[in-house]
Amino acid sequence: MKRRVALVIGAGSVKCAAALGLWRALERHGIELDMVVGCSGGSLYAAVMALGYDVDTCERLTRDLWTKEVTKERNTRGILAAIFPRLLGFDGRFGMVHDRAMGKALAGPFGGRTFAEATIPLHIVATDLETGQRVVLSEGSVFDAVRASVAIPYVWRPWEVNGRWLMDGCMSDPLPVDVAMQEGADVILAMGFESPFPRRVKSATRYAFQVNSIYTNNLLRANFAFHNLAHHTEIITVLPEFDRQIGLFSTDQIPYVIEQGERATEEQIPYLKRLLEGAPA
Amino acid sequence: MDVTVEQVGSAAVVRISGSVDGLTADALQTALQAQIDGGGARLVGDLSGVEYTSSAGLRALLATLKLARQKGGDLRLAAVRPAVLRVLELSGFTTILKLYPDVDAAVASFGS
Repeated sequence: MKRRVALVIGAGSVKCAAALGLWRALERHGIELDMVVGCSGGSLYAAVMALGYDVDTCERLTRDLWTKEVTKERNTRGILAAIFPRLLGFDGRFGMVHDRAMGKALAGPFGGRTFAEATIPLHIVATDLETGQRVVLSEGSVFDAVRASVAIPYVWRPWEVNGRWLMDGCMSDPLPVDVAMQEGADVILAMGFESPFPRRVKSATRYAFQVNSIYTNNLLRANFAFHNLAHHTEIITVLPEFDRQIGLFSTDQIPYVIEQGERATEEQIPYLKRLLEGAPA
Repeated sequence: MDVTVEQVGSAAVVRISGSVDGLTADALQTALQAQIDGGGARLVGDLSGVEYTSSAGLRALLATLKLARQKGGDLRLAAVRPAVLRVLELSGFTTILKLYPDVDAAVASFGS
């Protein structure tokens, strides 16, 4: 029986671009994916792969999207409403950064695109603001799903999808291997990263990134331990090594990040091929 | 993957080389379990020759760890390579397993 192969790309900001290197390696070896799952920064790459963009286009899109511009414009009204909630009416959904630049950046590759257009089944993970539950988005607008999945707490406002306010998937499931398990994957390629810490915490936004990284990394380890023990066949962890610091906006390092992703994947290819050729897992 | 066992002091040093993955984990677990069943529940896993571990390898390590502790012993790891250490850290295993820089230190940790 053919083994179903899933790629899971977890949270990790610009490091998630390593998934492009992984993808390039899989293509070179003719290994096809049966599903792609993404969370937070990983949702961007899961989505572009599933929608059929080529690697070079994705690299360009990454440079366009992942710039300091997306966090530059403050959500002044939202910040004031948080400080003076009664006076200005705090609506329970907060983000320090204005949506405009993020919306514009995501509209390029994902505007008007739907899950139905995906050439590989796509699942994107977000978190329900009201209940804290993991939410798996597999239909409807890809833009909405990605926007929700990357809504880093305190930084970007949650995003409404089908009447639910959703935020960053890393709040509930930073490396959603369990989604691939639920969807029937046998062999799971898991590319995950611990969230980076800002070089210096010199603003409230950076402070939010710092705090988010602390609890997201702890959640990642706890979840991943359970998933590794619970899966019936194989989770192949692909962990690119970086010999330099990759910051939140180290877009100049993207070619290097992609290269390291490709290198880490190449190391797993012989084993992956043996598994897929029918050796017992 | 190759597995050899050598008694050093009060511990059995299990030297493992190659990849511990879905194709080899069962053999490793069988070898480790046989060692424990034979009365040697104090195990030191020498991982200096292990290049990679997947989820199947982690499951084999955990099963061995639980069995060894049930029998009053332990599984302690020595000389874990960076690539394997990263998987152990990411999966939380470093919080439940004891790791040592080399085999001598791991053996010594059991006392006499």
